[in-house]
Amino acid sequence: MDFLRTSKRIEQPNMQVTEHSGNPTGELTYALRKVCKRYGDGTAAVHALRDVDLDVKPAEMLVLLGPSGSGKSTLLNIMGGLDRATSGEVWFGNQNLASMNDDALTQYRRKRVGFIFQFYNLIPSLTARENVELVNEIADDPLPAAEALELVGLGGRLDHFPAQLSGGEQQRVAVARAIAKRPAIMLCDEPTGALDVRTGVRVLEALVEVNQRFGSTMLLVTHNADVARLGDRVVRFLDGGIQSIESNSRRAAPSDLEW
Amino acid sequence: MRILDRKVLRDLWKMRINAIAIVLVLGCGVAILVMAVGMRGSLERTRLNYYAAYKMADLAVSLVRAPTSTASALAAIPGVSAVETRVTGLALLDLPGVREPASAHLISLPQIGRPGVNDVSLAKGRWPDPDRAEEVLVNDALATANGFQLGEELAATLHGQRHTFRIVGIANSPEFVFVTAPGEIFPQQDRFGVLWMGEEALARAYDLEGAFNNAVFRLSPEADSVKVKRAIDGVLAPYGSAGTYDRDRMPSDRFLTEELGQLATMAAFLPTFFIVIAAFLVNISLTRIIAAERSNIGLLKAFGYSDRTVAMHYAKGALVMAAGAATLGSVAGWMLGRMMASVYQEYYRFPRLEFEASAAVYAGALGIAVACAIAGSLTAVIAAVRLAPAAALAPPPPTSFGNNSAMLRSFSSRLDAKSRIILRRIVRFPRRSATTVIGISLAIAVLVLAGTFPAVMERLMHVNFTEANRQDVSLSFVDAREIGVVHAVMNLPGVILVEPGRADRVILHHAGNSVEETLIGLLPDARLSRLVDARLEVAHPPAAGITLARALAEKLNASPGDLLEIEQTSGRRLITHARVATIVDPIVGASAYMEIDALARLMREPGRITGVNVRFDAAQYDRFNAAIKEAPALAGASFINLAERSMRENFDRGVGVMNFIYLSFASVMAGGVAFSAARITLAEQERDLATLRVLGFTRLEVSYVLVGELAALGLLAVVPGVVAGTLIGEWLMKLFSNDLYSFPYVFNATGHAVAIGFALGCVATAAMLVRTGIDRLDMVGVLKARD
Repeated sequence: MDFLRTSKRIEQPNMQVTEHSGNPTGELTYALRKVCKRYGDGTAAVHALRDVDLDVKPAEMLVLLGPSGSGKSTLLNIMGGLDRATSGEVWFGNQNLASMNDDALTQYRRKRVGFIFQFYNLIPSLTARENVELVNEIADDPLPAAEALELVGLGGRLDHFPAQLSGGEQQRVAVARAIAKRPAIMLCDEPTGALDVRTGVRVLEALVEVNQRFGSTMLLVTHNADVARLGDRVVRFLDGGIQSIESNSRRAAPSDLEW
Repeated sequence: MRILDRKVLRDLWKMRINAIAIVLVLGCGVAILVMAVGMRGSLERTRLNYYAAYKMADLAVSLVRAPTSTASALAAIPGVSAVETRVTGLALLDLPGVREPASAHLISLPQIGRPGVNDVSLAKGRWPDPDRAEEVLVNDALATANGFQLGEELAATLHGQRHTFRIVGIANSPEFVFVTAPGEIFPQQDRFGVLWMGEEALARAYDLEGAFNNAVFRLSPEADSVKVKRAIDGVLAPYGSAGTYDRDRMPSDRFLTEELGQLATMAAFLPTFFIVIAAFLVNISLTRIIAAERSNIGLLKAFGYSDRTVAMHYAKGALVMAAGAATLGSVAGWMLGRMMASVYQEYYRFPRLEFEASAAVYAGALGIAVACAIAGSLTAVIAAVRLAPAAALAPPPPTSFGNNSAMLRSFSSRLDAKSRIILRRIVRFPRRSATTVIGISLAIAVLVLAGTFPAVMERLMHVNFTEANRQDVSLSFVDAREIGVVHAVMNLPGVILVEPGRADRVILHHAGNSVEETLIGLLPDARLSRLVDARLEVAHPPAAGITLARALAEKLNASPGDLLEIEQTSGRRLITHARVATIVDPIVGASAYMEIDALARLMREPGRITGVNVRFDAAQYDRFNAAIKEAPALAGASFINLAERSMRENFDRGVGVMNFIYLSFASVMAGGVAFSAARITLAEQERDLATLRVLGFTRLEVSYVLVGELAALGLLAVVPGVVAGTLIGEWLMKLFSNDLYSFPYVFNATGHAVAIGFALGCVATAAMLVRTGIDRLDMVGVLKARD
């Protein structure tokens, strides 16, 4: 894939700041300590996450793997500032997401995080270009929308509405929308879950390129074991906890995947 | 209960806020319908029963003097089933505690037995003893207004002589359901009444012993009233008959008929507003539910439920709301009806006026509510039926937003992305946007209308009491006097200015049409009583010819230049002719006008007047009144301040109450439409709004997308709402105009501003309330769910 013409590396969170006592991130992008997520109380309580500890390095491609209900999406939502941990610490640079208020979390998502979802979540009343521009309006130094869409191979479909695009194209618009703000973090929840193999591969290629060229830290949730071969490391979830963390000696190319 | 029915109830519970809005709006329509139709029926029925039970006259005639022996000739006329010959007259009353002179209509009671026509219903006390000349019955309204007790005495001047009467009973009569002094529009119940007393005593007072000056008749069912009238006129012609007239010229009945007409207009017109809006709301809500229920519809069909069952399932929700609205509206309508009945009871003196709507009215209300629900749910239910199970089970394709016009594209390119979302949604769903706009417009229109009525009333009163009638009092004489009487009046205490006046009751004939009206003599360059039209222009009487109010000209089918035949209704019953000079648009009354001297000449009474208009020093109010209470030649005194007060009271209680009801209902409507629209917009946009929140947009920015759409639709509704309210207002004013008033349409800028402000306030409040939903958006949940 040779459509990447922009290769400006993205700033990672401030690793040097130490004025917050107890900040364990050091050189890390994320440092999660004893993160628990519980829904409900008493006997009806459901523990979605139990005492999760996890470190994420800058520019790392981390694949979160596990069956449904194992807690991987819950963790992703907490790291993306969409949900809050019941207890524990979620350090992003020198900021503990667990102690941030709603407005601060909104700003965090706005400045730092790019999301990609299984069902694309495009605004149907905006064209591909406008969906990207929507985010650019609130970003500090965004990529021009046309350029972001060019990056994901949709340079020719700028003015199409979501209803006029295939599923794979819609997901690539979502990728363009996520990368346009040059996010430090890309959080992808089952990005290929609703796609067939061919279009899924095309979306994954776009994500890998973004990760490599921009240096965005990327967390990719999937239940597809083969997709795990893309990551630097693979975190396996079971019953709300981390079962294992493995490093891939060599990351596979999306085109090598089979599912 | 079947499972599907349980689902209907749960679906309704889920949309309860919308359901409540629909039930309230539809309920308002049903309530007005039940109230207006029920009230009309109640009045009609009460009138009919009262007239039948108390033998309301079918025909009446006034004359100068006929011997009592003539009565048998009248009774013998074929078609006459009963006749009552009477002595009637006007008297000035000097009521203790009332500063101004009051007056009363005096009517004789037969020496033996009760009246065979226009019977009297005794509310309290006993019948007068025919041998005791001082004993009288007083009409209920006058007695109540003045707090008269049985046994109390009344001082009256009859035919120039002072009498003292004693009240022995309080009564009502079908002849005086609505009691107004001659020449007054509104009842001044404390200053004008009816006294009934023994025939011989009254005849003595009026020098009519052995004679009568009034007769009332009841006709047999098959009688031809035209023939009977001709026969009566034939018998009474030698006795100065003023011509026999039908019930529709009897003032009380005429007022009642006008009132019933207005109720009919109201019953037909206003509920329609609410019912149409409710149908819109049902449509919006149900369309939304069915869109959200897409996969459930697929499932039901996949399980083997028939299209009919599916259609009924979704229609049932609307039917439950219709049943709720019909129940609520019927109860509210019944309560409002009772309230209106007690207001009417003050003006229309029936022995008992009870609001009673027939089962047919309630059944009709239910029927209309159901029809509204069906009409509203039709397109949504058809959409549910048409969904193929497989298509329904698959996720719906994203809504297409393509194919925008070049103009829209260039306009939207200048907007930011959030505003573009708003614009495209409005354009993409034109039917839904239009529905919301129409709903809010109709609410504005009703509010504009509610603001129009009081403004029209104010204008009417302003024109009548400030521009047209600048006198303090109009005095009318028992009979025409020489113009020199003006000097005598000038000498009364406190009098500043006196202008002569003349009014003759005449029947105008033209092109086969006959109308009884007052022919009013106008003084050129009058400073007190003037003819002013709705545009506040003073109409000067032409030196020759007759001027007609437009309503009168239309009834006569007469235009300028036409020759009218003018028949005097009293005295010599002259028949003369005059040419129509001009047509005017007076605001009150539909009379004919002439220059005063020309009128006196036409009536063969040159130099004679029938009354005066007087302005006096307010400081001398009591002295002036004391003097006129003693004046034997006076038939009546009409005080402008009292007339204005009674008109205002009448409006406040009648129109005011109604207006309050409309205003409340219009508010419900505006609120209901705004709230439904806001809830539905939020529900539809939930996913997009949550996505925006996830992408890092603040609550304020996301609220803009939601509130902006409602604000845009609200603003779009302003112009059509105001235009509709204005046009309907003009039309309604024409519809409500009658012989008594021609309601001018008054553009009430404040009222319009209040209407717009209120409706947009409702939209803003609804938007703000619904906006809190943005704080509760489930960002995680919405991302997991497919479209």
